[in-house]
Amino acid sequence: MKKKTRDIFFVFIAAIVIFAVTAIAMVFPSGDDGFITEKAFEGDKEIVLTTAQPVKNVPAAEAFTVFEENDPDIQVHPQSVSVDGKKIHLTFSDRLNQSNAHMVKAPELAEGTGPVATEVSRSYWGFLLSILISALLINNYVFTKYLGLCVFMGTSKRKTTATGMGIVFTIVMLLSAVMSWLANRYILVPFHLDFLQVVVFIGLVSLTVQAVDTILRKVNPILFNAFGVFLVLVIANCIIIAVPLYMASNQYNLIETIMLALGAGGGFLLALYLMSSVRERLELAQIPECFKGLPIAFIVAGQFALAFLGFSGLQIG
Amino acid sequence: MANELSKGQLVARGLLSQNPVFKLALSMCPAVGMSTSIKTGLMLGVAVLFVQVFSSLTISLFKNWIHPRIRIPTYTLTIATWVTVIDLVLSAAFPAAYAEMGIFIKLIVAFAIITMRLEMFACKETVSDSLFDAVGMGLGFMFGMVTIGFVRELLGSGMVFGYDLLGFKPLLFFILPCAGFFVVGLMMAFFNWIEAKYRDAREQKS
Amino acid sequence: MSNAAFKDITSIVIRLTVTCLLAGLIMGWAFILTHEGKEKNEQLRDEKVMYSILGYDKSNPAPATMAMHTIYRYVLTNGDSQSIGYLLPIGEKYGVVELDLGGQFVRQIPVDAVASKLRNEGERNSVMQQAVGNQTEIRYADSMIIVTNAGERTAYILDGKYPGFKTTIRVKMALDAQFSMLGFEVLEHEEDPGLGAEIVEKYFRGQFEGKSFEQLKSAKVIREDMPDDYRAALTGKITGKEAAEIRQKHVGDDIYALTGATISSRSVLNGNQAMVSKFHHRMTVLDEAIKAQGIQTPF
Repeated sequence: MKKKTRDIFFVFIAAIVIFAVTAIAMVFPSGDDGFITEKAFEGDKEIVLTTAQPVKNVPAAEAFTVFEENDPDIQVHPQSVSVDGKKIHLTFSDRLNQSNAHMVKAPELAEGTGPVATEVSRSYWGFLLSILISALLINNYVFTKYLGLCVFMGTSKRKTTATGMGIVFTIVMLLSAVMSWLANRYILVPFHLDFLQVVVFIGLVSLTVQAVDTILRKVNPILFNAFGVFLVLVIANCIIIAVPLYMASNQYNLIETIMLALGAGGGFLLALYLMSSVRERLELAQIPECFKGLPIAFIVAGQFALAFLGFSGLQIG
Repeated sequence: MANELSKGQLVARGLLSQNPVFKLALSMCPAVGMSTSIKTGLMLGVAVLFVQVFSSLTISLFKNWIHPRIRIPTYTLTIATWVTVIDLVLSAAFPAAYAEMGIFIKLIVAFAIITMRLEMFACKETVSDSLFDAVGMGLGFMFGMVTIGFVRELLGSGMVFGYDLLGFKPLLFFILPCAGFFVVGLMMAFFNWIEAKYRDAREQKS
Repeated sequence: MSNAAFKDITSIVIRLTVTCLLAGLIMGWAFILTHEGKEKNEQLRDEKVMYSILGYDKSNPAPATMAMHTIYRYVLTNGDSQSIGYLLPIGEKYGVVELDLGGQFVRQIPVDAVASKLRNEGERNSVMQQAVGNQTEIRYADSMIIVTNAGERTAYILDGKYPGFKTTIRVKMALDAQFSMLGFEVLEHEEDPGLGAEIVEKYFRGQFEGKSFEQLKSAKVIREDMPDDYRAALTGKITGKEAAEIRQKHVGDDIYALTGATISSRSVLNGNQAMVSKFHHRMTVLDEAIKAQGIQTPF
């Protein structure tokens, strides 16, 4: 039984990651605009361009002009340019503000290719991945945003219940986030009804829970017997309402919303799994009488939270 | 079902023996996340008190009219309505406090404590009893938030209610977000310990 | 379907509808009551932040002769060529001054609009589009405020955002006419509470106040303990003339990093440096163009 739970857990986490990666890969085939095949920021002060052919005419640093998308009147030149095969490294004296897109202009780098004008920004791929990883680890809803604790404490006693809760939660999260996005994008925003967000989002969550409940009961009663109890708990979990609110305030698009929902659900599952692994062992440990039960669980959760603080500031993409 | 407790007992029950933070262990998210100072704890407490009282009143007023099959959706809708109202009022009247509490005001809608009181109490009892029960629960929540906030503010930044009391910061750790877990856990243990002592003493006497 | 079940469903539907209507009424009423106050509050808060970074408060109110003039900057794209369009007050009304990327004057277009109308982004964009013609693509970049006192330029207020340790930090900054820092306020950030979030505290922000353009440009973040007298003066434990003297003594210091948040401190310094140096460059170019063309601006 124990092994099976672990298998379910890992299969599910793997499914989330694979789904996310394929979704991103399908929507965004790798970019290619002629001579420059890849461009990216590297470190704080560097831009790296990858070219289709080896660079023949290496221009001086002054020949490159770089400016932020919104500041074409303030142009800077790299401090130094180094070429290594197909890679051109532009190093700058000041830190680049990487949250803005940078335009790079340069004269012809190889014969017959024409002058270069390209835009460098943090890749969208990386941005999507960063939403996922951020919701999963850096801003884990349980350990760094302190949400969903009631359900978290209630269902993390056994690995089996923990995994079940986590999976049901992720599925409902995904469905309700997509519905909330639709409602927000096509009803609330166009009609300036933002102040109804809370009512609409919680209504959609109840609706999703009810729908999953009914469908599961009819389609797969065995699965319903295993997971049905968790469905009621989903609605008492503040993460389920926090995610749509966060999505609305950040004006995410549909794919970004899906990433956020997957990250939040997966993060909850991860937190539950970690916690239940510890709490199963805690039962065998000798704990002072007054610490038994919830108090020690909170202290363990605090230690996890401290550990998760270490993810803070992790940079992706 | 009639309620045997007096009004005073109803309030006291929410504050002490059934304190929503330390005893019922419901609504833990704000207790950990929003308790870095007394002020934020108090403000969120006021908001919860408001929502609890108004939702309880609404439900107990209309209790005979609510169809049993749609009980839960009605509760959710009622709570969501009052949360929206307090959200709008706070953002207009106290923008600074509102900015500090951020998303937590909207999240009151998912606090288990409010739904639970509606289901367990307000839908069965009279309007006045529900009012006192709601006040008791709201005050109990506020009391829990303020206590945790007091400990964290004093130990973390050496201040009480924004006034510098100690003049130095004893343990910066307590102001860190994750310290909320430790403070809540330790205080729960502390209350358990007091209860056990009290029970032992009484048993020895008898 | 049996009669009883049908009755049940009808009753549920009716009750649910009535509940929703009631809820809608309450929320709509609350919205109407609070809507105006909210907007007014936002404007008031904006003004309060501006006055506070300029150094005015209740005990030291701003002079009545003070005026604020907003300049909106747009990036204009016409085919391959780009230029900058400044929407600024000219005489009684507004006008567009277009400069090319090298800072050379291109043209001046009068615009029929007043300041209050331009505050709304939609209206401002349509005014701008009308002025430059439909072939030109416009993109709003940022705005800056020039503060004058009796016609004399006294300060600049800029908005900006830059990456912090975790996410973006949004600030409002005031510079005096010589581009030294008067102060800045952090409007939004998501740094870690207790660590990076300390950037909003006076003892950190205060270090920037009074730094001249050159001093700010050459400042670095150092991981040293802040001298006790400087900290006391910044946190308000020492006040009055003594505090001013201590702060004057340390104004050329580097920026003392926040404990446990060196990266956040460095982000703020770098962000502020970039903001000020960009603005310095832009303002100099714009001033030259205004002077050379003899454009009548109120600043």
